[in-house]
Amino acid sequence: MTDVEQAAPPSRRRILVVDDSALVRLYYRDALERAGFEVEQAINGIEAMEKVLAQPFDLAIVDVNMPRMDGFSFLRTLRRNATDVATLPALVITTEAGEQDLDTARAAGANFYLVKPVSQQDLVRHAAALSGAPT
Amino acid sequence: MGTAGSEPRGPRGVRVTQEDVRRLCEFLYRRTGMLFDDNKRYYIDRRLVERIDATKSGSFPAYFALLRSDADHEIEQLINAFTVNETYFNREEHQLRCMTSDLLGNVIRGKRPGESIRIWSIPCSSGEEPYSIAIWLMENWRLVDSYNIEIVGSDIDTRALKAAGEGVYGARALMRLSRDVIGRYFQPVADGEHRIDPGLRESIQFTRANLIDSSEMARYRGFDIVFCRNVLIYFDDSSRRIAAENLYDCLAAGGYICLGHSETMSRISPLFRVCRFSDAIVYQRPESDHDGR
Repeated sequence: MTDVEQAAPPSRRRILVVDDSALVRLYYRDALERAGFEVEQAINGIEAMEKVLAQPFDLAIVDVNMPRMDGFSFLRTLRRNATDVATLPALVITTEAGEQDLDTARAAGANFYLVKPVSQQDLVRHAAALSGAPT
Repeated sequence: MGTAGSEPRGPRGVRVTQEDVRRLCEFLYRRTGMLFDDNKRYYIDRRLVERIDATKSGSFPAYFALLRSDADHEIEQLINAFTVNETYFNREEHQLRCMTSDLLGNVIRGKRPGESIRIWSIPCSSGEEPYSIAIWLMENWRLVDSYNIEIVGSDIDTRALKAAGEGVYGARALMRLSRDVIGRYFQPVADGEHRIDPGLRESIQFTRANLIDSSEMARYRGFDIVFCRNVLIYFDDSSRRIAAENLYDCLAAGGYICLGHSETMSRISPLFRVCRFSDAIVYQRPESDHDGR
């Protein structure tokens, strides 16, 4: 049994992974599914917004740099929404590690902020904590 | 070499002579750079007879006329029939290890996180190699999410590319993968075969490319790592040199090329620098062209 599987929450929490790279989405999805999460994917902020309005989620894991609508714009749009989706927990993952980037993420409405590379174990640990999955 | 009596016949009794085969080989060589010599004669005869039958040409002269007119894309069909596509996942694993233990560390030295890393598998056959590269990176490179990794698979054989896009593999192709990896990146389909995960399929771009066609190869630029295994052996010296020069131009400055274990670039072209790593010998386009040509 790997570390990823040991961290598995017993319930099926639903996570939306938003990243423009198919390989990165697969890398995150593989870890999350092995840990027992149910995973949906979106390739940018626009698709992510459509999905959160159409289906219930427990957490959004959001890349910052994406074409059409980036992660911060998505979060701002999400937080301004008049329905319950505005409170969806969001984990922002980015390649930028600066103080200013952290401030921007907070101001956009991120609940937590991780800098790439993110190991599969760390991803699962934070996903479990932020989605409220029992540990 | 084959005598008239031993020459294969198709179901319609079509027979090909040594002169027919010579003309065909000359034609194939001009179009693809692939050189088939006498020790592959039996193999060529059989494929040729199959194509004459399949096109209902009835004779070599009729078939050859059809081929030259390229009616019904016969040139492509013939190339497809002449290329060998059998391979498997994680073939030459030491090169994949070399990629993650040495090559990528050097490649990212000139890049910022989030920038693209371009990897090319040519020829990619039915997809085993580019998919293996993607799986290997996810399993073995801790920076896999830090860069925008673009993997391109190219082949001259459109039939192989179609199979690569479908991504369905039998037990033989998967023999080097663990059960855990198969369970995570494939879905079982009928008859013990497995289909590649759609997310993995989406992460590879498949294209048709001919290594000795310089104008076609001009579309491919800026690759950091190229896997070009077991194809240069099909070429004669001059085509091999053209292919090597094309590959050189496709590489980014400082980019690497991995050849098959029995191949060496040193005898083909002086353009590349030989790099001996613990897992593999690879060839590098020098950082500055002045170091090379």
